[in-house]
Amino acid sequence: MILQLKNIFKWVNSGGNRVFLLNDIDFTVNEGEFISIMGPSGSGKTTLLNVIGMLDDFNEGEYTFLDEPVHTLKEKHRARLYKEYIGFVFQAYHLIDELTVYENIETPLLYKKHSSSERKAMVADMLDRFNIVGKKDLFPSQLSGGQQQLVGIARALVSSPKLILADEPTGNLNSTQGEEIMQLFKKLNDEGVTIIQVTHSETNATYGSRTIHLKDGLIVNN
Amino acid sequence: MIRNYFKIAWRNLLKNKSFSFINIFGLSIGVAACILITIYILHESSYDSGVPNSENVYRMTGQYIEDSRVNNGIHFSANTASTVLKDFEEVENSGRLMANQLFYRAGSNEIRFDGEDMQHHEEGFTYADQSMIDIMGVNMVYGDVTTALTKPKTMVISQRIATKYFKSENPVGRIMYLNGNNEDPFEITGVMEDFASNSHLDYDFLITLKDVEFGEGEQTRWIQNNYFTYIVLKSGTNVAAFEKKMGTTLIEKYIKPAFQSAGFAGWEQMHERIKMYLQPLTDINLHSAHISFESSSRNDIKIIWIFGIVALFILIIASINFVNLSTAKSANRAKEVGLRKVVGSTRSQLIGQFLAESILISLIAFIVGIALSALLMPLFRSMSGIDLIMPWSSFGFIPIILMASIFVGILAGLYPSFYLSNFNPINVLKGKLSSGSKSSGLRSSLVVFQFTISIILIVGTLIVNQQMNFILNSKVGFEKDQVVQIYSTNILNERVETFKEELEKLPGVSSVSVSDYLPIEGTKRNGNSFVNEGKDGIDENIPGQAWVIDEDYIETMGMSLVDGRNFIASRASDEQAVIINQAMAKELNLIEPIGKRISRYGELYEVIGVVEDFNFDTMKTSVRPLCFFSGISPSITSVKINTSNVSAVLSSMEAKWKAFVPNMAFRYEFMDASFSKMYDNVNRIKSIFTAFAILAILVACLGLLALSAYMVEQRNKEMSIRKVLGASVQTIFKLLTKNFLALIIIALSVAIPIAYYLMQTWLQDYEYRIDMSWSVFAVAGIIAMTIALVTISYHAVKSALINPAKILRSE
Repeated sequence: MILQLKNIFKWVNSGGNRVFLLNDIDFTVNEGEFISIMGPSGSGKTTLLNVIGMLDDFNEGEYTFLDEPVHTLKEKHRARLYKEYIGFVFQAYHLIDELTVYENIETPLLYKKHSSSERKAMVADMLDRFNIVGKKDLFPSQLSGGQQQLVGIARALVSSPKLILADEPTGNLNSTQGEEIMQLFKKLNDEGVTIIQVTHSETNATYGSRTIHLKDGLIVNN
Repeated sequence: MIRNYFKIAWRNLLKNKSFSFINIFGLSIGVAACILITIYILHESSYDSGVPNSENVYRMTGQYIEDSRVNNGIHFSANTASTVLKDFEEVENSGRLMANQLFYRAGSNEIRFDGEDMQHHEEGFTYADQSMIDIMGVNMVYGDVTTALTKPKTMVISQRIATKYFKSENPVGRIMYLNGNNEDPFEITGVMEDFASNSHLDYDFLITLKDVEFGEGEQTRWIQNNYFTYIVLKSGTNVAAFEKKMGTTLIEKYIKPAFQSAGFAGWEQMHERIKMYLQPLTDINLHSAHISFESSSRNDIKIIWIFGIVALFILIIASINFVNLSTAKSANRAKEVGLRKVVGSTRSQLIGQFLAESILISLIAFIVGIALSALLMPLFRSMSGIDLIMPWSSFGFIPIILMASIFVGILAGLYPSFYLSNFNPINVLKGKLSSGSKSSGLRSSLVVFQFTISIILIVGTLIVNQQMNFILNSKVGFEKDQVVQIYSTNILNERVETFKEELEKLPGVSSVSVSDYLPIEGTKRNGNSFVNEGKDGIDENIPGQAWVIDEDYIETMGMSLVDGRNFIASRASDEQAVIINQAMAKELNLIEPIGKRISRYGELYEVIGVVEDFNFDTMKTSVRPLCFFSGISPSITSVKINTSNVSAVLSSMEAKWKAFVPNMAFRYEFMDASFSKMYDNVNRIKSIFTAFAILAILVACLGLLALSAYMVEQRNKEMSIRKVLGASVQTIFKLLTKNFLALIIIALSVAIPIAYYLMQTWLQDYEYRIDMSWSVFAVAGIIAMTIALVTISYHAVKSALINPAKILRSE
């Protein structure tokens, strides 16, 4: 078991009413799973993903990540946890425009204690793995969307996280590019990386081993 | 890691070219201003620090209190120096300078070298003791430094003069004659290195004081004060205690008895009215503003403070630009911040990164700033009138600049880096960040601050300029226009009368007068004391000037008699007559002065006329009492001309001069020019101040330009929608500019009272001053508004005219 959510509630107060963004979420993710979270707009998919990624708070409930009780941890400790074990992939790629492909992939390593030669080896490995060696000195604006997302995934993977969180990774891509990315995820999952993705697309969801449907912050089926 | 920081910082610089330009250029201007002013301040405060043992050298200053009026002076009697050395064991050495032009040969002279024919005019003569050479640590190029002035009739000349007349030849042993006096040779016994630009002394000729006496008993008389007196104290002396002891002893032991035997009424109270002080040598340049008869080239510590503060303000204004632009542009960096946080950066690492960026900008700005200041140096040199140099080679220049740039970088980058690094990644990545508006309160107050300073500087500049023009153009009690002063006419001896008559015959000349006493600072002055007839030893003596003039003086100078008559040349009895000014009449309490007699040291003179008060000091002081006596003082001949063909008159005068004195150049000056020279120092300060005020405003406007560009960009979408909905160009322009104008108005209302107070304080220094009218503030306000409006308009107009379809399509 990699993480477990127990009776997670998250709400905002709007005009005296309590609006639930997450309503009594209960679920467990085991190592090696590939989970898709689906649901209509505003159902709380991204919020759930952010809670899992520890980027966002929740109001009530218990969250255990690798046997650490996240809900009792201090902000700093929590940040250390997600930096160590979680990689993020975004719909809009979110590459740093001023950095080259190589430097973008290298960035997470800068904040960990890796020597410069170690970093070089790790980035080279990623470039190799994703077949983008030839593009390492280009800037994000010089790449297609699909290529940018590849770099985004490479960046997420470079520090070998246990869990990849992907928020609509193919949302900005055309279908061919999207399919390539999904193939890649599948392959990563086969290699043992745990993945949780948020998606709108039934097709994408089929790559996963399990799908969670959300509606109004509530898990509809599991 | 650091390399990575700098890399991204560099790419950001290149990406936002105009933003970087404004940041760096603005900061460079601030840095250049600071460097120049720092060099200026360092120069001004380094005066006389090069003198060996300077920390133990003092100049004596004195205070004379009269009817609660305090006069500070630096003139002491001839025997003060030797007495102090003899009476106090704390005193190691003492020396005197006598540069008072009242005495023959001090000031300026016509010189001629043995075996040559030409007379040359030279200035910068002073009498000096040999001990002054020792005290000031004068270095000799030729001659013996220890004995140069020990023999009578010897003289030391500066290297500048030696080179001018003797090229590389050694002039020691050469003979020099002064003012055509061929029976009175002076021997050149030494050539000294020129006084440094940061020495308070600036003489080219030191004439020995050995065996010199100006009138009988002058060297031993206590009440005739003409000498600058310097002393060296043994190190470790308690200066304050010694100062007190010295003052008391001198007054009780010498001055009181001297006044008593001179029959001076208030001699017993002298200890209450005279105070003596020791002024450290290194304080002379900056701390002598209170001393009258001090050279007008002295600076004032107040000016140093003002300049320092102005320079600092320019730097602060430039740093504020940096803070404002960085936080305004924060939206552009927000994504990067969020991402870096997500992939593992801690907040302190981000702060480090942004600080590194601002340090990089600061470093570049400092390099450009140094280049800029080196480039502006010649201009600044001529503005300040000082031979300032970039201290490239001076120890510590580069490290200090480096440290300063890092310091400025950190200071300017501190707030932006805390602000930027505080973004919450989730908000940023969701795109929820309300771009850059969060700190708009702070930005607004910083803009208000910038413009407050700018407006104060504008007001200051306007008022300083007005006051200067007021002084230069106001009625000073005499007509300075169309008067030519011909110098060195004393060389003519008794023929000066004939020369005067010849000049009067020239066409275009309306009157000619011979007198050394002109209402121009730097011409001859003296100090006598006067009392009403029969009140010698009873009434208080009134100190006053005693000017020797001829009967054409009042007409030539355009002065006016308010009562009585002028001197009449042929009337012998006029030798016992006196014309007084209104101030003298008032001081002597003469209600109907004509026909009354006044006493000067027991000798009686009949008042035949009262001349309207005219200014003969700078306009900083009120008119002091003065008397005119009839006679000849022949060094300067003033010619009033009444033609517009000035060059014709000048050349005919020169022809006359050549006929009289074939071996000397014709030297003249227009009186209005020499008058404005009195205010050279003030004028210089005015132009420096103006220049830096303009710089400050320029930097502030640069910031405003960038900020408005950014704000307009932020609201492009809003404006496009408004336009689609039917808003006119004007309404959009108004919408975009009104916020900024509100800030300027706030700045105005803050700045005006401060500026009023500051300038009121400054004007207090001037006896004759302008009234500050509201119009100055109105003009300053309009200038600030206009500059700001034009700055903002550039982008506002661009935005108002843009095609909304373009903006909205890209959304």
